[in-house]
Amino acid sequence: MSEGAHHPAPVSPVEQRVAALEALLTERGLVPGGFIEEITRRYESQIGPMNGAKVVARAWADPGYKQRLLADGTAAIAELGFGGPEGDHMVVVENSTAVHNVIVCTLCSCYPWPTLGLPPAWYKDPPYRARMVREPRALLAEMGCPLPGEVQIRVWDSSAEVRYLVLPQRPPGTEDMTGAELAGLVTRDSMIGVARL
Amino acid sequence: MSRPLSLSDLDLPRRNGELAFDAPWQSTVFALTAAVVDFAFGGDREPFRQQLIKAIAAEPGRPYWESWTAALEALVQTLPERRTTHALTKRDRKCHGLGVPDPPSSSRPGISSITR
Repeated sequence: MSEGAHHPAPVSPVEQRVAALEALLTERGLVPGGFIEEITRRYESQIGPMNGAKVVARAWADPGYKQRLLADGTAAIAELGFGGPEGDHMVVVENSTAVHNVIVCTLCSCYPWPTLGLPPAWYKDPPYRARMVREPRALLAEMGCPLPGEVQIRVWDSSAEVRYLVLPQRPPGTEDMTGAELAGLVTRDSMIGVARL
Repeated sequence: MSRPLSLSDLDLPRRNGELAFDAPWQSTVFALTAAVVDFAFGGDREPFRQQLIKAIAAEPGRPYWESWTAALEALVQTLPERRTTHALTKRDRKCHGLGVPDPPSSSRPGISSITR
């Protein structure tokens, strides 16, 4: 309980609670040495939307891969080496000129970690979680993604197991681009569905 | 067909978004949760998810990572004492695919069958 006694900066109540949890779980043998550092390093530098961007770029460039991706998202994403927690039951939903898909978690913050990393702050906030279901067209417009009235919006609420990834439309004029160049066009927000490319 | 991509082809994830964590305690509580899910619940995230849903519903305006902390505290309260004594089997370690070293070879044989 007194680990923080030599810290020069004041420790907030929540920091104290996390320190207490760490001490308790370590004492119970649940935290291997180096585990916290390894998980942090992974989610800060290895796991993020650049993984999803590679999936999207591959689907744009390879019709066979796209077919597999839409049929079995988890398996096709694993082909590129991505998988793990929050990615065991992936469903990829494809945008078209007629249909726009967007993902949300109304109850908490479910999100496809292996392909998008951890969710942005706004995704976890009550306004997004409530309004994306109630008034998606208005909210998308406010977020800089106005859609023509004839475009149908499909909102995918993450259930207990399924995690969704939006496959954005390939921008025109990109026919000669390499896979890496294509991946560079793909934004996190386009794979959540709050932006179009 | 596109050529295979490598990590170096692209910038780090933060280019496309924001930092994963705003403070060290947030990454710590995230990793502690991963440890509990992996080593005490065999990789099943649903019990934690249910606690997180409850914590967010209880105080919708509370900062997200504080709700997360409350959820982990509640989850830890549900842990039977005896389950944690079988933590850190080789099988459990694979849940996150981590290269964490195995426990000393002197640890009890047959331990993985206990946690199966």
